[in-house]
Amino acid sequence: MLSKSAARAFFLGGTVLTGLVFIGMTVDTHRQAPARTNTAALTDEVKAGHVIWTENNCMGCHTLLGEGAYYAPELTKVISRRGKPWIRAFIKDPEAMFPGRRKMVKYDFTDEQIEHLLTFFEWIEGIDTNGFPADPPYKPVDGPVAAGSLALADAPEKFKALCVACHKVGGKGGIVGPALDDVRARYDRPALDRWIQDPQAVKPGTAMPKLPLSDPERAAIVDYLLGAQ
Amino acid sequence: MKFQSQKVAWLFFATSLVLLALQLVYGFIMGFAHMGYDGLHEWIPFNTARAVHTNLLVVWILSGFMGAAYYIIPEETDRELIAPKLAYVQWAALVIVGVIAIVGFHFNWWEGRKFLEIPRPLDFLVVVDVLLFIFLIGGTIWKGKRRTTTSLVLYFGLLMAALLYLPGMIDFRSHLFDSYYRWWVVHLWVEGVWELIMGGLVAFLLIKLTGVDREIIEKWLYVVVGFTFLSGILGTGHHYYYIGAPKYWLMVGGIFSALEPLAFLGMAMYGIAMARKGGRKHSNRLALVWTLGTCIMSFVGAGFLGFAHTLPQVNLYTHGTLVTAMHGHMAFWGAYGMLVFACMAYMLPELTGRPLFKHSKISEWAFWTSTIGMIAMTGAFAVAGVAQVYLERMSGMDFLDVQEAIEVHFFGLVLAASLFSLGIILFVVDFWRSGLPLGGITLKAEGLPAGGASDVGLEAPEAVG
Ligand code: HEC
Ligand code: HEC
Ligand code: HEM
Ligand code: HEM
Ligand SMILES: [Fe+2]
Repeated sequence: MLSKSAARAFFLGGTVLTGLVFIGMTVDTHRQAPARTNTAALTDEVKAGHVIWTENNCMGCHTLLGEGAYYAPELTKVISRRGKPWIRAFIKDPEAMFPGRRKMVKYDFTDEQIEHLLTFFEWIEGIDTNGFPADPPYKPVDGPVAAGSLALADAPEKFKALCVACHKVGGKGGIVGPALDDVRARYDRPALDRWIQDPQAVKPGTAMPKLPLSDPERAAIVDYLLGAQ
Repeated sequence: MKFQSQKVAWLFFATSLVLLALQLVYGFIMGFAHMGYDGLHEWIPFNTARAVHTNLLVVWILSGFMGAAYYIIPEETDRELIAPKLAYVQWAALVIVGVIAIVGFHFNWWEGRKFLEIPRPLDFLVVVDVLLFIFLIGGTIWKGKRRTTTSLVLYFGLLMAALLYLPGMIDFRSHLFDSYYRWWVVHLWVEGVWELIMGGLVAFLLIKLTGVDREIIEKWLYVVVGFTFLSGILGTGHHYYYIGAPKYWLMVGGIFSALEPLAFLGMAMYGIAMARKGGRKHSNRLALVWTLGTCIMSFVGAGFLGFAHTLPQVNLYTHGTLVTAMHGHMAFWGAYGMLVFACMAYMLPELTGRPLFKHSKISEWAFWTSTIGMIAMTGAFAVAGVAQVYLERMSGMDFLDVQEAIEVHFFGLVLAASLFSLGIILFVVDFWRSGLPLGGITLKAEGLPAGGASDVGLEAPEAVG
């Protein structure tokens, strides 16, 4: 039967052996890190973004690389999901973008700080994460694009920057709001203009945010959606 | 209680319970926020509530470990603590650091590094405080009349826990290494050295409560902690799958972390076998119930539920979802929460001379309501987590839409958490009724085969049946 000293030897031997292997693998991880995480792009701006990230404990609501809290969206791929212009507008006033929904803290970041955060997210997105986050395997595939759909390529720049994060046109874009290919069947010009200018005024409590657009920018978007271009 | 200086344990236990109560308050704040009622957002945003919740958790568990160590070490080494007054200083320092940290979290003073939110200047105070603790315990063992395996395993666990705090303090330029070494603290604590502490404490409790021969218990202690390190060290890899570390971690982390449940299974079988061996005459039945409870619940929460999402193929979809929170709750409560409660249930009657924790109805109810409450909480998190994985990660629905769809499960969580909290309140009631520790020395040697070679830890080889 197993003796106490044999049991002790098993404990010490196993610990030392796996400990040494672990340290060896850690050394190798350091060796491979520059290629896998693009250390060359790890600039002072990225570092500044990282500092903002930790000093405000964004990880206490969000996950990044799947680590953090489960209260707010995973941010590893946020730049390609939402686009930089949208994020800039969002961080300035999160509640305006998602009124009546779960709240994010409103930080008074300077434009420079927001750029630092964006470069930090961009650097994160460039990391080789072994495939995380995975593409959803059961995501409904987009059907064939119906005749009469709008083409995203024709859209005004502001539309691409701010609206596509939440809406699809021509089968491309986000899934928060409905696809916008057929709004012209349901809206006339004044109604659409009023909606985009201030959705809350039209439908209090709606999840569509009021977005920072100048009058000509809004007019261009309305033209586009009504097919007048 | 044999030695006057063991009394300091009571202070640490009382602190533990106060911090736990506060932790639960912040847990409810988060539970309601997940349900859509975030009325406190302006004053206590979610990230503050979370940092307070998890840091209080770590501090109350550590406080419980320290209390238990101050109780056990004099008894195992057969002498008073080397400097009891310093133990009170160490207690005060712990409380001060804890309070400053918790208050700071409400004023955006922290480091956003999950579980290690305590800001850097306070980290140094933590280190000083823990060094003082290690010095007091180590010095007592050094000067002690005897050196038992139980006390050495416990000491080694506490010492390693202190040392492993240090890698978490290095400031890295790269987010990858920031995470990489954060896990040296978080993972190597809960799935490494804290299990060693658990092994030591459970061994002590089993020796006292079952009266089984010390040699047998300590031999199996080595086997259990041997499995822990064999699997747990390389098992750290299950946190390195998707943070930018090399691909071989998928294989190494997957295989070794899949073996980790064996250590918990071993602990459960060991506890049950020793209790059986000890027969039916227990001096403190409820303490034994808590001890077996921790052995079994840690296997379910850490071993079984940990295994459920540890393989890389599964973790790719569950990583960073409420599935993790489901596992986190039952593992922490089962392995370390219930362990501290087991220590209190055994030690408080010895310290205060009032046997409430041994047989009172209230204590009995405290065990069952908290255990059932925690199982129900785990269920609520599980349903919410699986729904989140399916809708968001597998079907590609928008994050916030999914969160709104699963709000109802947080209503379930809050109900279950109320039951759990009732159990904690009942335990606190008996703690209150037990009063302060005895003024004088009581030489009680209940439940252990009085004196004798087996208790002293001399060579008494005996085969296990
Ligand atoms: C109190 C919790 C909380 C904190 C703290 C927080 N966020 Fe958020 N964040 C949210 C929530 C909730 C959302 C979802 C949108 C909404 O309802 O506002 C969000 C959305 C975002 C988004 C858009 C993500 C998307 O996919 O739509 C970005 C980018 C973001 N946050 C960045 C940050 C940064 C950077 C910090 C730290 C400086 C931070 N957040 C801190 C709660 C938080
Ligand atoms: C944060 C996500 C978000 C952004 C950004 C956003 N929307 Fe929306 N939008 C929504 C949601 C959600 C609805 C559905 C609102 C409802 O029914 O209450 C909506 C509805 C609409 C509708 C009505 C659609 C219908 O079929 O009735 C139009 C038109 C629209 N959005 C245009 C825009 C334009 C133009 C932009 C860019 C300037 C934009 N949206 C940006 C979320 C968004
Ligand atoms: C008592 C022991 C344990 C405790 C207290 C514990 C606790 C936790 C906690 C709190 C987390 C969340 C960490 C974070 O994201 O920051 C976590 C994650 C994890 N645990 Fe455990 N755990 C224990 C044992 C185990 C075991 C034995 C396994 C495997 C068999 C395991 C597998 C995992 C995995 C895979 C994750 C990562 C989840 C993710 O990707 O989001 N755990 N654990
Ligand atoms: C009143 C009872 C409790 C409630 C309502 C509650 C609720 C919560 C909630 C909502 C979260 C946040 C999840 C997120 O990020 O979205 C959380 C995190 C956590 N809680 Fe609790 N909790 C309670 C008690 C406990 C207890 C008793 C323990 C341990 C013994 C515990 C350990 C944890 C841990 C470890 C985390 C972090 C989990 C992770 O990161 O995966 N909680 N809790
Ligand atoms: Fe782990």
